[in-house]
Amino acid sequence: MNTLVRIPAVFLFEWRRASTAPRLAWMVALMVFPPLLLALMRFTAGSAPPPEVAAILVYVLSPGVACMMSVFLWATPALSAELEGRSWVYLAVRPHGPLAVLLGKYLVAVSWSIPVGLVSSASAVVVLTTGRPLYIFAVESALVVLSCVSYSALFLLVGVIAPKRAMVAGIVYAIIFEVGLAMVPAAMNLLTVQYRLRCLLVDWMDFDVGLGSESPVLAMYFGNHSAAWHISMLLLMTCGYLAAAAILLRYREFTAASETDV
Amino acid sequence: MLLELETVTRLYGTVIGVNDVTLSLPPGAHGLLGPNGAGKTTLLNLITGQLSPTIGSVRVLGQRPRSSHALLQRIGYLPGSEGMYADVSAIEWITYLTRLHGHQAAEARRLALRAIERVQLSEHMDRKISTFSRGMRQRARLAQAIAHEPEFLILDEPFSGLDPIARHSMTVLLQQWISAGRSLLVSSHVLYEIESLTRSFLLLSGGRLLASGSVDDVHHLLADMPAEVRLRVDQPRLLAEELIRDELVDSVRIEVDGELHVTTQVPSRLHRFISRAVCEDRFLVTEVRSADDSLQDVFNSLMKFHRGGV
Repeated sequence: MNTLVRIPAVFLFEWRRASTAPRLAWMVALMVFPPLLLALMRFTAGSAPPPEVAAILVYVLSPGVACMMSVFLWATPALSAELEGRSWVYLAVRPHGPLAVLLGKYLVAVSWSIPVGLVSSASAVVVLTTGRPLYIFAVESALVVLSCVSYSALFLLVGVIAPKRAMVAGIVYAIIFEVGLAMVPAAMNLLTVQYRLRCLLVDWMDFDVGLGSESPVLAMYFGNHSAAWHISMLLLMTCGYLAAAAILLRYREFTAASETDV
Repeated sequence: MLLELETVTRLYGTVIGVNDVTLSLPPGAHGLLGPNGAGKTTLLNLITGQLSPTIGSVRVLGQRPRSSHALLQRIGYLPGSEGMYADVSAIEWITYLTRLHGHQAAEARRLALRAIERVQLSEHMDRKISTFSRGMRQRARLAQAIAHEPEFLILDEPFSGLDPIARHSMTVLLQQWISAGRSLLVSSHVLYEIESLTRSFLLLSGGRLLASGSVDDVHHLLADMPAEVRLRVDQPRLLAEELIRDELVDSVRIEVDGELHVTTQVPSRLHRFISRAVCEDRFLVTEVRSADDSLQDVFNSLMKFHRGGV
């Protein structure tokens, strides 16, 4: 309860701090690049792609890349920026301060990234001039929200685990797990956010990917659970990431380099 | 008790930050003295719960700082490093940090405004911190530490980098804090800064607590350590002869105004000799003064002693 009353303070403060021209420029850039890229593809192809292909393209670029990039830029340096700026000490000596900062910054990352995903998805669907645009947008919007909620927690945890090399650790993690392992039909990919989002896309778009043949390899790649199961798993993973980050923050000692000099 | 440390040791790998420190401080104002690298900041990090001791226990106002959120409500901390957000105004920053103490927005702003007024920063509170001078930033940092009305204020090198005027303002502010009956622990490596605030101090060097207590306590500790004594006496040359003959002094100097300066390895014996001489009416002594009156001299003596320089 004590932490809960402090979270809005962090959220509002960080939002105000973040509302700067460079940050807004990044936001716009991330919003614009998926539709821009798809517009070029559409122009080169000369005709509108079928709805299934359009949905995959929008999924890869918007909830996949734009949202992931946005939350990566927001959530990963949440702790390291405070440590590098030597401002962490002021937060650490407040009751429940570290946890409030963690959750407040998590909400900032989510709330900045969801509009990026929504605008880029909507624009992408429009430029592709494909069939079932409203349905595709609805599916992509749901994936955007889930992507931002999950990836924010994931990158926040990576930033807390490796605060001194947060951005590098975040990129390495994303490449190895969310890009590499998520594409491998093995048990490991079940632990990635990308796998869950992909399964939801397949489920909601009613793609025929041969699951009916009960191929175990395809099942490991596209999943054979319900959408509710995948959403539950994503939310569980999100809670797990946040809980792990909170526990680390509680028990690890974070002091700026100069302050640990004896 | 304000502060209780029991055999506290803090290691950074194989480097010792604080080494076997045991102390107990009552409420009041205390200075934490020591040269750079003495372990002062480590000790303050232990007291504010940012670090936990490798060995031993720390209690602040009866609670363990690392595990008590309630305690953090009762202490205010001004860290040694600046670490302020350059892109916000002083009022925004202090209100934010006060809100993190659990106050609602309006109440936090009221407390922040009061703190800003106390540190005489009201005129500039809407300016971005990046435009502040060093002295103004230091006052803003002090305001964030006192805004939530803590019982115990902990300051790490609060005078560092301040010009004389800003130093004086800071001293006055802290004197007001102390005179309001609140507790203060202030660290510094410059002694006169502490001397203007309190006569109770802890001396830390190489992570060890060399001495603690009042200046008088330390004088007592130094009673048989090498000391310089100044005397005003009717026959300084005769007294000097007797002191040399009895091997009570290492060096003797008579100033042009007749004041006798002696250094001695046995100050207790010297003082007994002088008392006896006065009682026997052999000399008229009008003044006996230790040259080690100031905290700086006490500090120097202890440091020399610790480093094996005497």
